[in-house]
Amino acid sequence: MDKLLVSPSPHLHAKTSTKSLMRDVVIALLPAVVVSVLFYGWSELLVLGVSVASCVLLEFLITKYLLKGTCTIGDWSAVITGVLLALNLPASTPWWVVFIGAVVAIGVAKMTFGGIGQNLFNPAIAGRVFLLISFPTYMTDWTKPSGFVGSALADGFTGATPLGIAKEGGVAAVEGLDYMDMLFCNIGGSAGELSAVALLIGFAYLLVRKVIRPYITVSIWVTVAVFSGIFWLIDPEVYTDPAFNLLTGGLLLGSIFMATDYVTSPMSNWGGVIFGVGIGVITMLIRYFGAYPEGVSFAILIMNSVVPLINKWCHTKKYGR
Amino acid sequence: MMKTFSIGGIHPSDKKISKDCNIEILPVPAKVYISMAQHLGAPATPIVKAGDSVKVGQVIAEPAGFISAYVHSSVSGTVKSVGPRKDLAGNFVTHVEIETEGDDWAEGIDCSDTLITEIPEDNKAILEKIKLNGVVGLGGATFPAHVKLSPPPGKKADCLILNGAECEPYLTSDYRIMLERSKEIVIGAAIMKQVLGGCPAVIGIEENKPEAIRVMSDAVAELQKTARGYDGISVMPLKKKYPQGGEKQLIDAVMKRQVKSMGLPIDVGAVVQNVATSLAVYEAVQKNMPLISNVLTVTGDCLPMDRQHNYKFRIGMPLSYIAEYAGGIPEDAAKIISGGPMMGKAIAELDASTVKGSSSLLYLTAAQTMRGTESACIRCGKCAEACPMGLEPFLLQKYARNGMMDELEENAVQDCIECGCCLYSCPAYIPLLDIIRIAKGDVIRIIRGRVQK
Amino acid sequence: MTQTIIWTIAILTILGMVLAVVLYLVAEKFKVEEDPRIDDVEKVLPGANCGGCGQAGCRAFAQFCVESEDMDKCFCPVGGNDVMQQVAAVLGRTVAAKEPMVAVVRCNGTCENRPKTNEYGGYQSCRVKAALYSGDTGCSFGCLGCGDCVAACQFGAIEMDPETGLPVVDEEKCTACGACVKACPKNIIELRNKGRRNMRVYVSCVNRDKGAVARKACKAACIGCGKCAKVCAFDAITVENNIAYIDFTKCKLCKKCVAECPTGAIHAVNFPVVNKPAAPVAAKPVAVAEAKSVMNKVEKSNEPVKKEE
Repeated sequence: MDKLLVSPSPHLHAKTSTKSLMRDVVIALLPAVVVSVLFYGWSELLVLGVSVASCVLLEFLITKYLLKGTCTIGDWSAVITGVLLALNLPASTPWWVVFIGAVVAIGVAKMTFGGIGQNLFNPAIAGRVFLLISFPTYMTDWTKPSGFVGSALADGFTGATPLGIAKEGGVAAVEGLDYMDMLFCNIGGSAGELSAVALLIGFAYLLVRKVIRPYITVSIWVTVAVFSGIFWLIDPEVYTDPAFNLLTGGLLLGSIFMATDYVTSPMSNWGGVIFGVGIGVITMLIRYFGAYPEGVSFAILIMNSVVPLINKWCHTKKYGR
Repeated sequence: MMKTFSIGGIHPSDKKISKDCNIEILPVPAKVYISMAQHLGAPATPIVKAGDSVKVGQVIAEPAGFISAYVHSSVSGTVKSVGPRKDLAGNFVTHVEIETEGDDWAEGIDCSDTLITEIPEDNKAILEKIKLNGVVGLGGATFPAHVKLSPPPGKKADCLILNGAECEPYLTSDYRIMLERSKEIVIGAAIMKQVLGGCPAVIGIEENKPEAIRVMSDAVAELQKTARGYDGISVMPLKKKYPQGGEKQLIDAVMKRQVKSMGLPIDVGAVVQNVATSLAVYEAVQKNMPLISNVLTVTGDCLPMDRQHNYKFRIGMPLSYIAEYAGGIPEDAAKIISGGPMMGKAIAELDASTVKGSSSLLYLTAAQTMRGTESACIRCGKCAEACPMGLEPFLLQKYARNGMMDELEENAVQDCIECGCCLYSCPAYIPLLDIIRIAKGDVIRIIRGRVQK
Repeated sequence: MTQTIIWTIAILTILGMVLAVVLYLVAEKFKVEEDPRIDDVEKVLPGANCGGCGQAGCRAFAQFCVESEDMDKCFCPVGGNDVMQQVAAVLGRTVAAKEPMVAVVRCNGTCENRPKTNEYGGYQSCRVKAALYSGDTGCSFGCLGCGDCVAACQFGAIEMDPETGLPVVDEEKCTACGACVKACPKNIIELRNKGRRNMRVYVSCVNRDKGAVARKACKAACIGCGKCAKVCAFDAITVENNIAYIDFTKCKLCKKCVAECPTGAIHAVNFPVVNKPAAPVAAKPVAVAEAKSVMNKVEKSNEPVKKEE
């Protein structure tokens, strides 16, 4: 000991840091990643690799040479964006489309706003939506998986997602679908939508590690269940049932990993509930009445844009007031 | 369901390493330096001069205002000088330097161990004794005890809360006195509750100190059986959560009442005193013993088990003397703290002397205490979740950095209790409290200025 | 086809005319009556909006000037006398010229003069540090070195010298707006007159400790010995609370005090080189003659200032 260190209190700090929180999110995504690689094989690995590598590389290049600030790739946030973007794309997406998605996600949605902590929209979703609008053919090409464990997809569900089928053919077309299939593996869709259980394991991990609070996710689920429940009870012939709506599409992936993104979600618990309800309602409106079969991405983007307003109006309960 | 405060809070690791070390009595050093600023409020005015000989417990300084306190000599000997000396923050404060000769106590002080359970009836005389013996709150703020025990006219105490939470990690001095001086503490509580008009008294202790809960409950039960005036005293176990020992948090936990912004605990009928203060009140009233000693923990992860200590020290002993006596400063200690690791003060000047409120000498290693590099706020909201006052530190620091005083006041920066929960939990290592503390001072000054107009 | 084009043009024209009328009416309706001289005054102001004049910005200052009876109360430190003359001309008044001022850092506690006694590990802000404790050196009055003054300066006129750890004022850029004076929690920075040909003599220390204590903490501290006050023929130097202060309104720049000061706490800057024209250290010829090793550092800290001559 040379000289005494002096600083204002507190003198201790929790073990968590931005890096450790972000790393926990990556760990929570691992089950979903493993499942998607197992079922979609090499092509999924390629998408994941290109996505993560280009996100990290772009963040590195932009922070170092364009913004000339501190390099932020060490905090794992670019890795999360990369993994989430990959899980939102079909396994058959060509590598250059994935790269364009990464450019939009990191370059446009994140860095133009000033990098981590400043972006208004969730980068991965912004990238995904950009691709969905620009390259609809690639983005809806749900090829039959040729994974390492062989295809266990139910016959007749290749080539389209359950939501897509329901949009085209009505409720009757998806009546044969088993909920167990949706829970465990393999329903058609983008890589991250494969297994609800894998995603729920990640959710449990995030909650246990106190990385996220459950308000946003749960309020999305409840809203979707209630909204679709009402319509389903009114006319089960026209509207799909709540369980179907909860388990299909990117709802779980979106509600667990993307709506809860710190930067683009409200900070207070009540704000989170409002945010979640908004996402739930918009998702269901798009699914039932919109042109697209799937609406979670759009719903999250739309609600992202009202977060500053929510933050302005929702404050914490103060002591003695 | 165990009680605790309702908003925020954090769970830092306990680290009560020295909890099984008995209180040892430190020998008196050759010289002590007694500070005149040992309490909240105006520093006391010294009434001795160089060359005077003093006895243990003799008054050497008188209060210099309504909120101020008497200071007594903690040793017997000759006054060498009265002059400025650095306190632990390196600022000059008037100290009385006394060279020790023998251990000659002033008259009227009962140094025996006999327990006096009978409480005197004259409340005025009790308050006068508390004041004359220089008792101040020993929970951290060192607010003169007699002022707190005399509620302003029109206000009535509904409950006396004894703070035995000791929610700061590492500290064990309160725990040790609860184990070793339990009856004295209960008698002190009974005295204070009588002064306050016979309201109930609750001793709040966190659940991580089951032994203290048991011993204190036994002491209460026994005194209630054998003597009069002990009804309405109870022990309340509390859920472990920092900052349980914060005055406002403890009132919320025990009474389910919340003090209004800028208000005082007495506004909601609460008076909070630390268990160590209760012990000091006992000694002042029953033994006529002035507050010249307190218990201090010497601890830290970098100290081996046999060098962890709880010491009874006399005020004015230099911190360096205690550190030396306890076996020197460990090699890998980077920071020495007086007080707990969450709210204590880092020591800049180890030659500074102990004061009435000194509660620890805590060694932290560089790895434990070095702050990480500040990075961008990721808006995780962990600071707002942790804040026990329900504030939004991320917002306050933003306003503070931009000098937005109106917004700061609107968002209640003046309610901050500086507990450090926000900075503790911030994953981006933003110096939230450092910035907010300054803003709080500015805003309170503005509010006070407005009131005066 | 032609008809479409004609229709389009017609509709746009009508729309444009209607909106123009609406805009005109609204502008008339909500017109704020203002003294036109405020605009005129604002035009001659520098437009820095620094608040150095004590007003909320340049427009507020213009309004203040127009409304104020006494021109002596109005002074724009950024624009200086030139601008004030122009303002007076606009308003048809006269104004007396004021001495130009400059910010002066009154601490010479360089890393060498004033060794560190502890390490500060908190937020790098002088205010935070000052509120916490006396500082990371033995001197509890000196510069804390976190650069609050640098952050406060809107003109980029103050920078921290990494070698000394002290702020250095760029005299060319300094407008004497006083922002750094307010920002410094230790009240080290003072606005002093620029002096004849920028020559100034000042005590570069604010330590009010007793001589021995101050000296122990910092080799370049003023020890309040009073030798300078005795030697001064113009009664410009007062010694109070163990610290000497040179009144710049009385100082005649004779530099006798500089020679007399035993610790080199009195600085004379921008004086013409006399003894050693080649050396960059001739700011204080007499002090240099009896310089100790400490003194080299003192000269160094003056270097950037002198280069601009």
